[in-house]
Amino acid sequence: MTDNDRRTFLGQGAGLMAGLALMPTNVFAYDFSSAAVRVAIIGAGRQGRTILGELQKMDGVSVVGICDEDERRLSSGVRRARDTKGFGSVDELLKAGQEFDAVCIATPTHTHRVVAEACIAAGKHVFCEAPLAHKVEDAAAIVRAARGAKVIVQVGLMARSNPVYQLARSFYRSDAVRDLVSVYGQNHEKTSWRVPAGDPAREKALNWKLNPEVSLGLAGELGTHQFDSVAYFTGRYPTSVRGVGSIRLHNDGREMADTVACHLVYKNKVVMSYDATLANSYGGAFETLFGTNAAIKIAETHAWMFKEADAPTQGWEVYANRQQFHNDEGITLISGATKLAEQGKLQEGIGLPHPGTYYALGDFLKSVTDDADVVCSAEEGYRSTIVGIAAAQAVRTGEEVAITEDMLRVS
Amino acid sequence: MIVRLATEAMGTRFELVLDGKDEFFLRAVGEEAIQEIQEHHRRLSVFERGSLLSQVNAKAPHRPVPVDDDLFDLLKLCQSLWKETRGAFDPAVGHLMKAWGFRDKPVVTSQRAGWKCGFGSVILDETGRTVQYDHPDTALDFGGVAKGWALDQASRLMRESGVERALIHGGTSSAVAIGAPPGCEGWRVEIPSHRSGVAAIHCDLCDQALAVSSPSGRIATVDGESVGHVIDPRQGRPVHGMLVAAVVAGSATAADAWSTARIVLCESDATMPVDIACASIACADEGWMFSPGAEDVFAIRCD
Repeated sequence: MTDNDRRTFLGQGAGLMAGLALMPTNVFAYDFSSAAVRVAIIGAGRQGRTILGELQKMDGVSVVGICDEDERRLSSGVRRARDTKGFGSVDELLKAGQEFDAVCIATPTHTHRVVAEACIAAGKHVFCEAPLAHKVEDAAAIVRAARGAKVIVQVGLMARSNPVYQLARSFYRSDAVRDLVSVYGQNHEKTSWRVPAGDPAREKALNWKLNPEVSLGLAGELGTHQFDSVAYFTGRYPTSVRGVGSIRLHNDGREMADTVACHLVYKNKVVMSYDATLANSYGGAFETLFGTNAAIKIAETHAWMFKEADAPTQGWEVYANRQQFHNDEGITLISGATKLAEQGKLQEGIGLPHPGTYYALGDFLKSVTDDADVVCSAEEGYRSTIVGIAAAQAVRTGEEVAITEDMLRVS
Repeated sequence: MIVRLATEAMGTRFELVLDGKDEFFLRAVGEEAIQEIQEHHRRLSVFERGSLLSQVNAKAPHRPVPVDDDLFDLLKLCQSLWKETRGAFDPAVGHLMKAWGFRDKPVVTSQRAGWKCGFGSVILDETGRTVQYDHPDTALDFGGVAKGWALDQASRLMRESGVERALIHGGTSSAVAIGAPPGCEGWRVEIPSHRSGVAAIHCDLCDQALAVSSPSGRIATVDGESVGHVIDPRQGRPVHGMLVAAVVAGSATAADAWSTARIVLCESDATMPVDIACASIACADEGWMFSPGAEDVFAIRCD
């Protein structure tokens, strides 16, 4: 959205109070009782089990199959489900005659293409984790498979379904931030990314994230999600990216950097500074959009707005919930704040009850059962994947990587 | 080679100490164990609105709620511990914990007196693997065993991965030992007496679990009176009379439940199963009291 667009939007009457009153209907719970949707999960690692946990919270959703090559992960996944069959391969799952409507793909990034193509060909609706693939041609192949199919394909870029991101975006687009100055994003955690392999033959497969041949590293595997948040807010993709990476802590023979920093430059010279590390967890994961009137910080389940002293006041701020961050005071962005305030329950609205994955899966199943719009199409997933692939390349080579408009389109 | 890892979960700090030859392998296994602990935190927390347990508590008073094998196993285990302890350990005290201010602000006295609860109102259907509450005030709260359950699952994962020596604990009140350090009989753990003039005790844990309960572990002020966080589910009131109870058992879940039960049970009721070793101090006692055979497990520290 251009500056003029934003001001027109404001002029149309959708100001800050409208943003404050925004009440996404899906904040609290998804219920598919009337649809009785059956899902299979492919990949029972950490993300696969997270997906399973979130699906189990939704009434009317049955996880009828779980698939993983690793026996221990598979049995662990099956134990956390109900009436679920375990399968050792995608082929086995698709040929077993098990009836299901949709699959969630949570396998290693470089296997998404093969799995997604097989599931789409089998007529299953597909929720595919992001990034879509580790190579441009694989990501493009998924987009082409999705285009020709009569099934829903949603990419798991969570911000687009997340009620807190939706609310923060409505503030951003209502001119509360005014002109975008810069963006900062980080993803900090303290973990080795190494998976213990009982069987040495499985070592390489399980530790794919540490293998530069198939992994996009921190910039791609984590960054793709956060680069997409910027695209979701601004509608823009970067035109170039530079990066640097190093090993700061996990000097265990790996080649993959455990700490990276990237600069993504957008058309209007706005720069996103991004850093990710596995050596320090301070601050966790969040994005901050700095504008001439305010900054908005979003951290999965929470969001805050930090207004400049000279920014126009709207009146409602005096009633808002606030949180102190050192010298700054953030206004907590709360979904349905006006209604909650009327009921004296404003405090209860702080933060989301579920992680972002819950809302992304809920939106996906709404598309499957109710023909609702797909919140993150294969094309949208492709574009942010391309940015992630470029950022990973920039970190690996130390060279600036250009991102042209042509690169963001699948012919 | 010792590798130490830690994480915040269930309102406390979990720490893992792993001993072995391969540092990178130990770290990777420890991180998997941490993920396991975090998963149980997300599933079992009563403080998280989106947790599996919160969902069950919201739905089970109205209809049978289907649950997965993992949760159903925990519910069955809690049911047998509830029976074994004759109701002294009871995870269906969610509303009581709220009423006494351990989950929120305390409710007024008249309302508190009216609370009904108890695992007797939790209906487990083995065939359908569902849970339902037959009283609207029933709410499960795994605060008494969640740490132990998470430690049991995490230690199982560590053993299956090939870890031979480790000690893991949650908030120093629940611990599991895998094997023993080289040249030692077990991982030595010291338990303070909570009373001046009474020496601490210690035990050497080897493939065992330890849990320590004390009403003073968490305090709330209700009607101007300080009360400890261990509730007698049979009376609906916080317990008085016990200072500390330490229990060594085969699993951390059982140790957690029995250490709570020992705080709740008065001395005459405090018979322990033969495979449970318990050392405790009552307010009226001058020193440690041991269950039969527990002297072989615990030793009083000699300074």
